Amino acid sequence: MKEARPLSLLVEIGCEEIPARFLGEATREFGARIERALAAAHLLAGEVEGNVAASTLDVQAHSTPRRLIAYVPALLAVQPDQVEEITGPPVRVAFDAAGKHTRAAESFAEKNRVPLHALIRKTTPKGEYVAVRRTVAGRPALDLLKEILPAATLGLAWPKSMVWVGKQSFVRPIRWILALLGEGKSARAVPFEIAGVRAGNQTFGHRSYTSRPIPVAGFKDYLKKLAKARVEIHPEARRDRIKSQVKVLLENLKLTPVEDRELEDWSVNSTEWPHPILGGFDPRFLALPREILVAVMRGHQKYFAVEDREGKLQPRFIAVVNLDSDSSGFIRSGHERVLLARFRDAEFFWQADQRRPLGDRTEALKNVTYQAELGTYAEKVERMVCLTHAIVELARAAGLTVDADAVVRAAKLSKCDLTTQMVREFPELQGVVGGIYARAQTEGEEVAQAIYDHYRPMGLEDRVPRTLAGAVVSLADKVDSVAAGFAIGREPSGSSDPFALRRQANGAIKVLLELSIPIPLRPVVERALAQLDVKWQAPREEVFGRVMEFFAERLAFYLETAKGLGFDTVRAVLAAGWEVPCDALRRAEALEAIRGSEDFKALSAAAKRIKNILSKSAEEADWTPGEVSLELLRDEPERRLFEEFSAARAETKSFAEAGDYMAALGRIARLRPAVDLFFDKVLVMAEDRAVRANRLRLLGGLDGLCSSIADFALMAGEGKATK
Amino acid sequence: MGKQKLSGHKGGGGDGMTFQDLILNLSRFWAEEGCVLALPYDLEVGAGTMCPETFLRVLGPAPWRVAYVQPSRRPADGRYGENPNRLLKHTQMQVILKPPPDDVQDVYLRSLEFLGIDLRQHDIRFEEDNWEAPTLGAGGIGWQVVLDGLEITQFTYFQQCGGMGLDPVSVELTYGLERIAAFLQAQDSVYDIKWDATRTYGDLRREEELELSIYDFEGADSTPLWDLFKLYESEAKGILGPYEMLKQGGQAERVALRKAFEYCLKCSHIFNILDARGVVSVTERVSLIGRVRRIACSVAEYFLDREAEAREARQA
Repeated sequence: MKEARPLSLLVEIGCEEIPARFLGEATREFGARIERALAAAHLLAGEVEGNVAASTLDVQAHSTPRRLIAYVPALLAVQPDQVEEITGPPVRVAFDAAGKHTRAAESFAEKNRVPLHALIRKTTPKGEYVAVRRTVAGRPALDLLKEILPAATLGLAWPKSMVWVGKQSFVRPIRWILALLGEGKSARAVPFEIAGVRAGNQTFGHRSYTSRPIPVAGFKDYLKKLAKARVEIHPEARRDRIKSQVKVLLENLKLTPVEDRELEDWSVNSTEWPHPILGGFDPRFLALPREILVAVMRGHQKYFAVEDREGKLQPRFIAVVNLDSDSSGFIRSGHERVLLARFRDAEFFWQADQRRPLGDRTEALKNVTYQAELGTYAEKVERMVCLTHAIVELARAAGLTVDADAVVRAAKLSKCDLTTQMVREFPELQGVVGGIYARAQTEGEEVAQAIYDHYRPMGLEDRVPRTLAGAVVSLADKVDSVAAGFAIGREPSGSSDPFALRRQANGAIKVLLELSIPIPLRPVVERALAQLDVKWQAPREEVFGRVMEFFAERLAFYLETAKGLGFDTVRAVLAAGWEVPCDALRRAEALEAIRGSEDFKALSAAAKRIKNILSKSAEEADWTPGEVSLELLRDEPERRLFEEFSAARAETKSFAEAGDYMAALGRIARLRPAVDLFFDKVLVMAEDRAVRANRLRLLGGLDGLCSSIADFALMAGEGKATK
Repeated sequence: MGKQKLSGHKGGGGDGMTFQDLILNLSRFWAEEGCVLALPYDLEVGAGTMCPETFLRVLGPAPWRVAYVQPSRRPADGRYGENPNRLLKHTQMQVILKPPPDDVQDVYLRSLEFLGIDLRQHDIRFEEDNWEAPTLGAGGIGWQVVLDGLEITQFTYFQQCGGMGLDPVSVELTYGLERIAAFLQAQDSVYDIKWDATRTYGDLRREEELELSIYDFEGADSTPLWDLFKLYESEAKGILGPYEMLKQGGQAERVALRKAFEYCLKCSHIFNILDARGVVSVTERVSLIGRVRRIACSVAEYFLDREAEAREARQA
């Protein structure tokens, strides 16, 4: 095979506008699919030596709303020749006793169209076989691309796709395809077709500026011509352009845009040639709550809100348009007029909603579905109110001061905003609107804040409710959602989590931990399940077990991910019980701090040894747990260990009760010399049954102590283990 | 702002175009694109999609191009004629292109230019928006077309109608005429739109908005509405009932499918009023939508069935 110079490949799938929310992921996937296919076909130049790692950056993917682009700088013009081996029958079948080819060998050779003498022998783990080896001439890239490119394109998985002609489905109609192999005069279009569109060497510019096809002779030519036709194909370049131009617009005014990464992504992924413009609105609207103003600007209009250096909202906005200028000012005034109408609407909603205070809306919740199988929000609220009573009692028992009336009132009103026009218009403001309305309707600050915050935290990054009242309502809401979801069999499994229960449970855990609310979860879950009136998918006891297991898993996840605690620290702590999640956090933090000390390491090794002796060496008949008999302690080391252990147990208990787990663990760790000495000098499995049983009881006591705060035996041996 | 400047165009009839000129211009544009100019449907509908010229004609293989103005009612959007942007009854220009041409987006954009909108002076965006009409078993994928931040058209590749997948698909364009007129005339309130040279939209329609809102939100007891719903539903079922039987006797063409569909639309409208009044409970809501959809789906199914038989008969 003669060596040909590597060629470049440029592919552009021209589409009607792809939804901005799909574009980022689709771009990455498009590049990855092409790269995988090229690698599998041995076409990537970087992979000639079989060096797969070198090829990982060989495909660049770009996009605009109207195009998915992949560029491969160096592609082999022809696939390297491949040696192929086809295994035939085993040697013992292929040859007869005389060493002659059998009929089986003949038909294998015939099938593969080779003479008998071309058959070779091949050793495999299963034995010796005959085989055919042949060299397959590499195919030209152009040929292979005809198959690779349509498959890579049509294999993209879209969250929602459509048909436009025939049966072919894609995210939106494909209108042109540019597929160019090579540069300049020798560049050739890859001949293939998708849904009736033939690939060629042409692209199209920004639709407002040009409509004629633009012939392309290579990647540089493509970039140059598209820039002239107002298309920036690099999403990150569009982002930079937006950011730098926004800065220019606002810098002299000493203002900044309200940070909003999601909106920024949207602006990047919905434009080919972005240009931010600055608009304004009547300051009288600043009388509306900031949350509502921002929601109108971002949700409906995709505008960035603007604030001053002190964080005070300003009567201005940034709109990112898809043109290179607004020289006439038409666009700005158009946007301002639309925003004015939107703000008037919001003002109307605000006023109309006030005519019926939240307190008069509880009845209307009977008409709002929570989940089809779980009834209405009226029912959910009723359950939440019962749960808040239970949580308040537990919190009080744990020594916290809670205003029960405020909590219950907040729970009652928490979902009423779902019936307001404002939330119907801005669903993302649920809770927030309720809180703002409650304040305006003089429900009291405690109630208002609790309603405002009760959906929080909405993710691991989100903040928790500001007040204990808010936390209680939030907990009631989340535990009810999880319990109810499990009861009707909608628990998460793998990537499927239809009711977003992981987020709910993570939220509940975060609230308990971050606000240090030292209440047990078990009675709350029990109550939540007991009051459910649903179609149970499993017996209640079984559901209860699964819900608790789920919370344990979420607690472990939180401790590891959000708190950065070692995998085995968490495992050890949870094994010692997690009745009160925030107590588990304190134990885990203490354990993480002390685990590096020499004494502790040695002691956890000893704890493992103790566990082994108790579970493996000793038979059940050997001992029963109980008090150690002083008389039967024969040797000095075991007497010493017993004394130390008894003292440590008492002190550890009082440290733990005071919540000082560092001191408690430190105290346990100080047992190390006595334990070491014991194992050094004393034979646990003594001949005398009574002595043996007594020693086992002593170790049993130690095991109990070593598992009370965390199960030391579960700690990894050396250093800090991570996931 | 000067209206002439706003549209920044040459020719095509912009210049703060009146409401009726907007209708005339769009009608002319689409007639020249080969559309039949149909008449508005004489029943209350929630959208132009519900008219038989769309609902029935998007079914089956026959090519079809139609454009018509359709007053459309959304009881929940009633604002007693007070809100400058929301209307209980608004006006749509509905266009169906079956099958859609490959350059359908460009043709649509030319219709805007025909109204005097200069695409280089205005920001036109196609933003993802898929609609679904659960009472009709219909849905599509597409965009809302946004002009300088204002939604002016729903642009949809119709995917399903009457519960059936469509082949070929149709493109449905639904222009919101009040919004476009307000844009062209740079008006903040729809009621200030000039309908013709001397009369405003408010002159013609404000009282009607007020009265419709009063009835739909506060009007007579909802009981008669429930009764009407049941009556219309049973009438539709009564019409459709004998279809299978008559088909055996080769008289399926005697079934008044379009009449059954009209009763289906009446049910749908009554449901909308009940829903706007907030007297429909959650479970009722699901069941009512299902009842209307069943009629719509039967009509679609029989219609297709009959069309197929007619085609066969022609070929025979």
